[in-house]
Amino acid sequence: MAVTDPGTLRLTVAGPEPIVIELDAALPDGTVATRELAVSPADRATGIRRFEAVVDGWVFEVTAEDARRAALRERAGRGVRQGGPNVRTALLARIPGRVVRVWVAPGDRVEAGQRLVAVEAMKMENEIRSPRAGTVRSVAATIGQTVDLGDELAVID
Amino acid sequence: MVSLRKDTQARRTNPPFRRVLIANRGEIALRIMRACRELGMESVAVYSDADATARHVRAADAAVRIGPAPAGESYLRGDVIIAAAVETGAEAIHPGYGFLSEQSDFAHACEAAGIVFVGPTPRTLASLGDKVAARRSARAVGVPIVPGMFKPLPADGAAALPLMAAEAARIGWPLMVKASAGGGGRGMRRVDREADLPMAVAAASREAKAAFGDGSVYLERLIEGARHVEVQLLGDSAGKVVAIGERDCSVQRRNQKLVEEAPAPGLSTEQRRHLHGLAVTIAGTVGLRNAATAEFLLTPAGEFFFLEVNARLQVEHGVTELVTGLDLVKEQFRIAAGEPLSAAVLAAADASSRPARHAIEVRISAEDPSRDFAPVPGTVTHWREPGGPGVRIDGWVEEGTRVGPDYDPLMAKLLVVADDRPAAIARLRRALDEFEIGGLQTTLPFHHWLADLPDFVDAHLRTDLVARSWEPLPLRRIAAGHAAHAVAAHLLDATGGSSAAHTMGARPATAATMTTGSGWHAAALREGTERWP
Repeated sequence: MAVTDPGTLRLTVAGPEPIVIELDAALPDGTVATRELAVSPADRATGIRRFEAVVDGWVFEVTAEDARRAALRERAGRGVRQGGPNVRTALLARIPGRVVRVWVAPGDRVEAGQRLVAVEAMKMENEIRSPRAGTVRSVAATIGQTVDLGDELAVID
Repeated sequence: MVSLRKDTQARRTNPPFRRVLIANRGEIALRIMRACRELGMESVAVYSDADATARHVRAADAAVRIGPAPAGESYLRGDVIIAAAVETGAEAIHPGYGFLSEQSDFAHACEAAGIVFVGPTPRTLASLGDKVAARRSARAVGVPIVPGMFKPLPADGAAALPLMAAEAARIGWPLMVKASAGGGGRGMRRVDREADLPMAVAAASREAKAAFGDGSVYLERLIEGARHVEVQLLGDSAGKVVAIGERDCSVQRRNQKLVEEAPAPGLSTEQRRHLHGLAVTIAGTVGLRNAATAEFLLTPAGEFFFLEVNARLQVEHGVTELVTGLDLVKEQFRIAAGEPLSAAVLAAADASSRPARHAIEVRISAEDPSRDFAPVPGTVTHWREPGGPGVRIDGWVEEGTRVGPDYDPLMAKLLVVADDRPAAIARLRRALDEFEIGGLQTTLPFHHWLADLPDFVDAHLRTDLVARSWEPLPLRRIAAGHAAHAVAAHLLDATGGSSAAHTMGARPATAATMTTGSGWHAAALREGTERWP
């Protein structure tokens, strides 16, 4: 992929949690190591490249592709995702367990780090917090409900 | 390992044993083999199918397959391991830590087969398994213990209720329900009020029954804000036991140690003498031999309460070695061969209340610190260890190693030593910056964070430090942004992008420039979980 215009690149950082990329911080002093990973033939055909980037010991897989091609692909797939920081963020259960608290309702404004839902597993309460500021679009979790790994708990717009 | 040197044995006139079998795997097997080689002893490795090409197998002079990957069918098969020792002519078995290291039946079977078990006597091991009995022994010799019960609760729940309530009222709240046969944080429950007690007792008992085959539990007070401090002991066959220093292991998550240091910061010489004396007294009650550790709680009021004795080499023994200059594994072999405590050990014991150096160990494990330290098996694709002055790595993985789900996720221990604690922390930060691991998530980010945490830097240690302070998601989110920029910079470097864009990639632009659309088009998308086991 020839990158001549920085505005034509889309970067997606994979992980277990929805992440809003924050762009106003300085680079850390710690290790930032980047290595290109092998891609599948299908990815090669679409021009997608994959990297592993390690920052302060956090290991990320980063996918890079041409933003226009990415947008075309999304439209073809009727994706609802928009570029920029105001994408919809779905919060998924990281552990199987039982929903014991729900602090928010649809329409609530939430701040980054605000508690949304608590899931009890192995006698421990795990709080699911909002990764960013936004508006609660929906809350799928109800108190007493059993959830599996990856179940949707809430969506933040 | 290929070596053209043939005189290893000749250079050491009287090794404690000629040939030793190491009944373990991973970093500790390699650690023990290094001591064997330096002492001029041949080492025999054992391995499961999962470890056929592992470093400890290649490092040994001989290796014996003992079964398939599950530990129950390989590293826990005492009979198969003893047969391997007999077959290869090994005179002694070093059990390392975990697996068979504290099983009195195994130690007994070794003796019966005419093989020296490098550790305490089978009788000592058997007596150490019962925590309530250990509390009674400690009380009998005047060593303080956490206020609580001296015999387990009756097994019958209904009959136990009034007794339970009376004991709880006497002990005071909050309290802990603990398994009599406990260890490793299993069969433990915190209880804050009487209404929750019956449920907690039942749950802890079930867990203890499943983990140890013994569901008996007892109550003791929970001491808020305590530190975990432990004393390294060495004892010879003649019955002489000495303490050679203490370690602080307060940085824990769910009763699993993450970071250990020696000495325990902030203790006075008098406190050290007192603590080491308590540990030696305890050792006397169980007839301790070889290497062991006595664990204590240090309360905010400065009292030491005895917890338990672990009669084996500890994972964190290396920090004591760096402070004292001893090689504990070599000392274990000498003691097992019947030698008295060495002059070096006695000198270290004399100096133990005035340590001259400070050492810190961090455990690098295949665990995701953003997901409550859940194990994440995977293959190591990139591995570059730190080096330089005052840095020691006890590890076993290399590029291409698969860290599987069958065993504990410890990949390496990074140890640093310096003249004092601030210098050791500075060295730790430097070494962490040099450590590069790719292919799977490790505990490195946690250690980066800890090394800068004011409570850690100022030695305000307590066992709930991690539970109270560790909030990984904001850290990980910031790191994700840097990851995106690092990749962007890499792409621009590779394609010779414009200098303005290059600067932006190397040093992130502000949020304002991002939203004008002139900068990178970065998107945070809903992410799949399929890559995350």
